[in-house]
Amino acid sequence: MASRGGFLSTSVGTKLLIGVTGFLLFLYLLIHIGGNALIFFGPAVFNNYAYVMEQKNPLLPLIELALLAVFLIHAFKTVRMFLANQSARPVPYAMKKPAGTPSRKTLASSTMIVSGLWLLVFLIIHVKAFRFGPEYDWPAGGRDLYRQEMENLSNPLMVLFYILSMTVVGSHLFHGIASAVQSLGLDHPKWTPRLLFAGKVFAVIIAVGFMIIAAWVYLNQPGAGRVRV
Amino acid sequence: MNLKLRIWRQAGPAAAGRLVEYAADHVSPDMSFLEMLDVVNEGLTKKGEEAIAFDSDCREGICGTCSLVINGVPHGPDRGTTACQLHMRRFKDGDSVTIEPWRAAAFPVVKDLIVDRSAFDRIIAAGGYVSVNCGGAPDGNAIPIPKDVADLAMDSAACIGCGACVAACKNASAHLFMSAKISQFALLPQGHPERHRRVTAMIAQADGEGFGSCSNEGECQAVCPKEIPISNIARMTREYVKAALLAK
Ligand code: HEM
Ligand code: FES
Repeated sequence: MASRGGFLSTSVGTKLLIGVTGFLLFLYLLIHIGGNALIFFGPAVFNNYAYVMEQKNPLLPLIELALLAVFLIHAFKTVRMFLANQSARPVPYAMKKPAGTPSRKTLASSTMIVSGLWLLVFLIIHVKAFRFGPEYDWPAGGRDLYRQEMENLSNPLMVLFYILSMTVVGSHLFHGIASAVQSLGLDHPKWTPRLLFAGKVFAVIIAVGFMIIAAWVYLNQPGAGRVRV
Repeated sequence: MNLKLRIWRQAGPAAAGRLVEYAADHVSPDMSFLEMLDVVNEGLTKKGEEAIAFDSDCREGICGTCSLVINGVPHGPDRGTTACQLHMRRFKDGDSVTIEPWRAAAFPVVKDLIVDRSAFDRIIAAGGYVSVNCGGAPDGNAIPIPKDVADLAMDSAACIGCGACVAACKNASAHLFMSAKISQFALLPQGHPERHRRVTAMIAQADGEGFGSCSNEGECQAVCPKEIPISNIARMTREYVKAALLAK
């Protein structure tokens, strides 16, 4: 019988861990997109938000570490589970078709490992550019994150990469949000169908929202004519 | 009607297998899928060839013995039916039909289309029962159980253990099977004394057998001949958490 130490290492425990970490990452993205949307209000508002979040928050290093841990656990556990799942069917079918309703299988659900690994690469590039990139001082306090973002997204290829990556995160969450809730053992005859739908809506909102931000930043480079959205 | 069959032939557990083409001619639309295979086998036997080995018993959808992946879907194209309940009127003249065994590391092929599903028996033996001591039979209504709860337990108990859920799952996971067996007891008072031990032991056994984990795609509930939903898997997770927190 599984000991208490092994609670999170069984096939069900693994899914609990993946569900919790996946859902926390989703919640983080909600906060992240909220903060990022402030860019539409110009450098003063945006930089002040960053200043308050970064400099006035003694818990920040702790939150950063927790987020990193959550992310690493998610990536490690999902990759390991994927490999174990592959060896559970060593001989493939010559013909395999989706079974149709009430299956929840989608292109998104079938490519979670691909979208996940893409996000891993994207986030390394993304965090390097914003968290460890060149910094400029902002006179009112903190750093000029607005300028940093403008510069990071001035290259059309980079903008394209961001927009592609947002499609990928949308795909990951299209299956992921509702899946995480099921992994936690939460299910209800009335609420589950609504949750399945809401999860997809949130996935699209997050993906399209970030895309709009990236495109807006690219189109509003200092020196270029201002474009209104 | 005439059909073109592609059937997995494998002489034994260790032998290499391959898809072999057969013609099924003069198939009546009133035949069941397994009767169609019987006729093909008669033809093979007359020609002195080895008949195609496949599992069946009741041939009325209640025993869970038949186990064919038909054109890429376990138990074939009809919802809520076993392969033995599938009828040839579901196919058209000239169709080509691919027939394969369940594919999972935990279900090794015995021969042709027959797989060894004793891993399921070992999961049941690990905890899928209630221990009843000898003595007089208790009165049927001694423990009141609300009708809706009894119905829900019965829906889970409808699992015939065919293994289609494993066959359909991209991870070859046994979670739907296990969760149905765990739910039927978790929902009823008779199952409560052993509930913590049951869920931990059955999950440990399934993991040890080499079944995969759950990706919440729900292909299993779409192919289940008894249409058992994945809400059972969520219940199994709750049982698992309760066991970890409350088991002594
Ligand atoms: C922004 C980053 C990420 C977010 C918001 C996120 C979110 C989620 C969510 C909510 C789930 C559903 C959890 C569940 O089914 O219980 C999930 C599943 C998954 N994630 Fe992520 N994830 C992220 C990054 C990654 C990375 C970097 C990888 C891989 C290296 C990854 C691989 C996977 C895989 C393979 C699954 C499916 C697990 C399964 O088959 O059930 N994810 N993710
Ligand atoms: S042979 Fe019994 S269910 Fe198909």
